[in-house]
Amino acid sequence: MPTADGTTDDQQEHRLHALLPFLQTQSQTSLTRLYQRPSSCLSIFRLLGAVERQLVMNLLWLDLPIQTSTMSSWVTREGKALFDDALASLARLHFLSNNSAIKLGLSTTFKTSMRHAITGGGTSVSFGVPAEPDENRSAPSIDALDAYALERWETVLHYMVSSGTGQTPIKPSQGVLFLLQRSGLMAMNQGQLQITSSGFQFLLHTPHSQLWELLLQYLQMVEERQMDLVEVLSFLFMLSTMELGREYSIESLSDTQRAMLEDLRDYGLMWQRRASSRRFSPTRLATTLTSSLPPLPTATSTGGAKDQGFIVLETNYRLYAYTDNPLQTAVLNLFVTVKWRFPNLVVGAITRESVRKALLNGITADQIISYLTTYAHPQMRKNRPLLPVTVQDQIRLWELERNRIKTQEGFLYTAFASQADYEYVLNYARQLDVVLWENAAKRCFFGSVEGHTNIRGFIERRTGGSGG
Amino acid sequence: MDGSSHLSLIIDLSPSQWHLSAQSSNPHPLSFQTFLSHVLTFVNSHIASKHENTLAVFGALPGKSSMLYSSLDADSGNGNDPPADANSYRPFKVVNSVVTNNTQKELDLIGGLTEEPPVALVGALTKALCFINRLAHPPSGSLVDEAAASADPRILILSVSPDLAASYIPVMNSIFSAQKLKVTIDVCKVFGEETVFLQQAAHLTGGSYIYLERRDAFLQYLIMSFLPPPSLRHIIAVPRQDKVDFRAACFCHKNIVDIGFVCSVCLSIFCSPVAVCSTCRTKFPMKTLQRLNASRPAIPPANGVSNGSPRPPSARPSTGMSASLR
Repeated sequence: MPTADGTTDDQQEHRLHALLPFLQTQSQTSLTRLYQRPSSCLSIFRLLGAVERQLVMNLLWLDLPIQTSTMSSWVTREGKALFDDALASLARLHFLSNNSAIKLGLSTTFKTSMRHAITGGGTSVSFGVPAEPDENRSAPSIDALDAYALERWETVLHYMVSSGTGQTPIKPSQGVLFLLQRSGLMAMNQGQLQITSSGFQFLLHTPHSQLWELLLQYLQMVEERQMDLVEVLSFLFMLSTMELGREYSIESLSDTQRAMLEDLRDYGLMWQRRASSRRFSPTRLATTLTSSLPPLPTATSTGGAKDQGFIVLETNYRLYAYTDNPLQTAVLNLFVTVKWRFPNLVVGAITRESVRKALLNGITADQIISYLTTYAHPQMRKNRPLLPVTVQDQIRLWELERNRIKTQEGFLYTAFASQADYEYVLNYARQLDVVLWENAAKRCFFGSVEGHTNIRGFIERRTGGSGG
Repeated sequence: MDGSSHLSLIIDLSPSQWHLSAQSSNPHPLSFQTFLSHVLTFVNSHIASKHENTLAVFGALPGKSSMLYSSLDADSGNGNDPPADANSYRPFKVVNSVVTNNTQKELDLIGGLTEEPPVALVGALTKALCFINRLAHPPSGSLVDEAAASADPRILILSVSPDLAASYIPVMNSIFSAQKLKVTIDVCKVFGEETVFLQQAAHLTGGSYIYLERRDAFLQYLIMSFLPPPSLRHIIAVPRQDKVDFRAACFCHKNIVDIGFVCSVCLSIFCSPVAVCSTCRTKFPMKTLQRLNASRPAIPPANGVSNGSPRPPSARPSTGMSASLR
């Protein structure tokens, strides 16, 4: 997909993973505690950019720190800026030992754990203790886990999308509702939870970034709930290195982590037979946490088609969506005028009204376009460019339309006694660079608020001067 | 640049060469066991770098080649499923145990031979290319995710055996297919003398060829030079060879020649002027042959990159044989 995906790749390249800024604000002590666990090291390592990853690997097996200049000789001249950025970012994560200006070396804790992660061994038990196989009940199948994760996740999204429409979908658990409210995705309005404009934007994100957005909020709340952040993070990272379709025992978990089980069950990150069960299975949502291309549970529900894409968009603005999924239909409804609905097909059109409605909800044109790109039908993938240019341009134009009128406060200066008077004041205002509009024939001009005191003073001095 | 990447690793499993390599008379003896543990660490680092990275390992054995591991069908429990362990990341453990077991199995199979045929490097290379081609063209309707299809593929050859002159043509053909598939071929010469063909393979596909000098630092060599995927190499510079031996092997005796004679019709290379091209059956005029024979140096340069005296150009290049300067 050179055209469509090429651009998204570039964006990813410059975008830091959402978790990294959060980690960088943590204290060195807590990060060092976190790095004692090989699974955390491995997961954070995977969230890094490509250059950072390579640098970590270069340093991993060195016993002594090496000169920074030696390492930088491995970098091409064009890559120097990226290399420096990468070093700075690693230092902020406290991956590097302290004197990184002269000599480069990984911090001892991180190095030990990362080596253990790569080669195996150690006694950290950080990759999860597998549960003993149970003769009576077999472990849940991967399909069952996928279905469970999907059902949980879609409940949340569906609740969000239909909150304003008067429908009453299944309510997610209290914990999820609280999280949604805290993250500003939904807000209390007349006694009811209503989706906010950032909530609308959230709906159009990829499932992967949605998940991280919620988890970050969860992490922000951790301290209020008096949980140990390091425990929480290391549990999340442990989940991300677990194997799908395998049962793990809760024996080795700390109290904090056991308390998290319930929350994670609500989000669909893991499955337990009963709340009191001694074992749990991570779902695909959890095991793909550190991958950038999320092979999340299939977006279409019962259609059987495993493809992510289901949207066909034509140059005449008509849109065909092969889906029977109420959530997808509801999301489409945000910016599409739906004409007909069939058991497996939704037909609609992108119209000025529908797009304006979306824009009023706070969704941007780029978000609409990227949603359409992400979920384009495989048939559409043959097109170059992927989406019809006319439609893309028109959606952008509709967005610009809203920005046609720009308001600015100011003062109108009028009724000048003579042309010379007018020009004199106007020249002064021009020097201050506060003239927004002028009309010589009517002898009036409009100046911004900032310049008003100056201009008034100038006129007063002048009239006062001529008067006296 | 931050997409997933595919690595096909080709390990040269020539028992005799590994025996020589492990001898303590070498400046830095490297036994196969140590080598394998370093390679597995390297391979784990590749998988660690990105969740979506894919891997295939091929072994070039005497007289045959075989696939030791592929991340496509690794998940299916095929008997050698290691027991789960809370202290290690499962994918790493699976790779380690599958590669070790399969290598052991293959090496046991060849144990009984008295005379060791040369290693089937070309077979392994071709298998690796076919594998990459399969990744690049997933059958329609399959569930192979696009991540694997768009991966930026490369092949790393860890070679210990000397060049096999007879395999010049197949190696060249593999290089051309690799170029077409946009596959980078990296070569690490772990033991033995430089190989001409693999130098050319790395050079022509934009890969890097490294002759391992400090074999005690094998892992560090691997990680610093061969771990960055090709897309990253415009930022992290990896060493490339500055001198490439471009000599070719003749088609008639499979010798590596300093001065070859090239058929002007089909570009076949011969070590001496011939009357009829064995590939395309073109007949060459007697006069040309005589002139070319007369102009051959009496004693061809023994070795090294040839810089022989300039040959007089053929009078009639359209039907004659021309001497090539390599």
